[in-house]
Amino acid sequence: MKYSIIVLFLLINSHCLISAEEQPTADQQEMYQSIIQEVRCLVCQNQSIAESNADLAKDLRAQILEQVIAGKTKYEIKNYLLNRYGDFVLYQPVFSQKTFLLWISPIILLILIVGWYRKISN
Amino acid sequence: MKRYLPIILFLVLFISLLKSLFQDEMDIPSPLIGKNMPNFSLTRLGENTTVTDQDILGEVALINVWATWCVGCKEEHQLLLSLAEEPSINLPIIGINWKDQDQLAIQWLDELGNPYQEILSDPIGNTAIDFGVYGAPESFLIDRDGIIRYKHIGPLTLPIWTNEIKPLIEKLNQ
Repeated sequence: MKYSIIVLFLLINSHCLISAEEQPTADQQEMYQSIIQEVRCLVCQNQSIAESNADLAKDLRAQILEQVIAGKTKYEIKNYLLNRYGDFVLYQPVFSQKTFLLWISPIILLILIVGWYRKISN
Repeated sequence: MKRYLPIILFLVLFISLLKSLFQDEMDIPSPLIGKNMPNFSLTRLGENTTVTDQDILGEVALINVWATWCVGCKEEHQLLLSLAEEPSINLPIIGINWKDQDQLAIQWLDELGNPYQEILSDPIGNTAIDFGVYGAPESFLIDRDGIIRYKHIGPLTLPIWTNEIKPLIEKLNQ
């Protein structure tokens, strides 16, 4: 009986040790939260995976938490998602050959408008 | 010319926005096209043996992600069966049973017929995530070297087969 209590105690303790390792730190928790809010749930496209209850969103959250705890950077995790689901999975598109027009068009428009404004005010 | 510039700009913007209005928003281009299929090691449905991505190389093959809970999978099942049974079509169909229970899947195939040469079980769904799957059914055409050449999201239909997949297989087999 005495031994079984000790064994039980050890078992509980070892379990605590394992789960302590699996618990994210406050920083990791924060990073995890910020990532899942930026990732689109592809099943229900107007929700982030933080908001969605879809099965896939749950799987992706678990996958992201696992990688955050494993010490991956935000950049690595976003790349992981991009390589599988494409640009569309992130609400904020990355700057790439395909999206550079999207990013620089406001600047081009601004230059055009300023030029046009100058011309008519002359 | 300068006078028409705003009109031209307007038209360009209008047409490009109009085009995206009619785009199917579920039809998201996969970044995996033209890349190697992801590495995996999965157990055969209802067995203890494993299959890896290396085991299915050497032939053009169709990887089909399905589940018994998926309505679209039942829709395309007849087509998959007829592809598997047609001797002139030499296309191994590899099933990935996604987030499902082996027992239910086996029962489903017993009732409806089995078009698959291999069926791999992915109950947690990690391999499916590696394939960028977000809704079953999804199908991938893999060439002899294991490169993903085509992806279709949703049930396969006869027009998709005859217009898109069949010509592509013929091209890849040349």
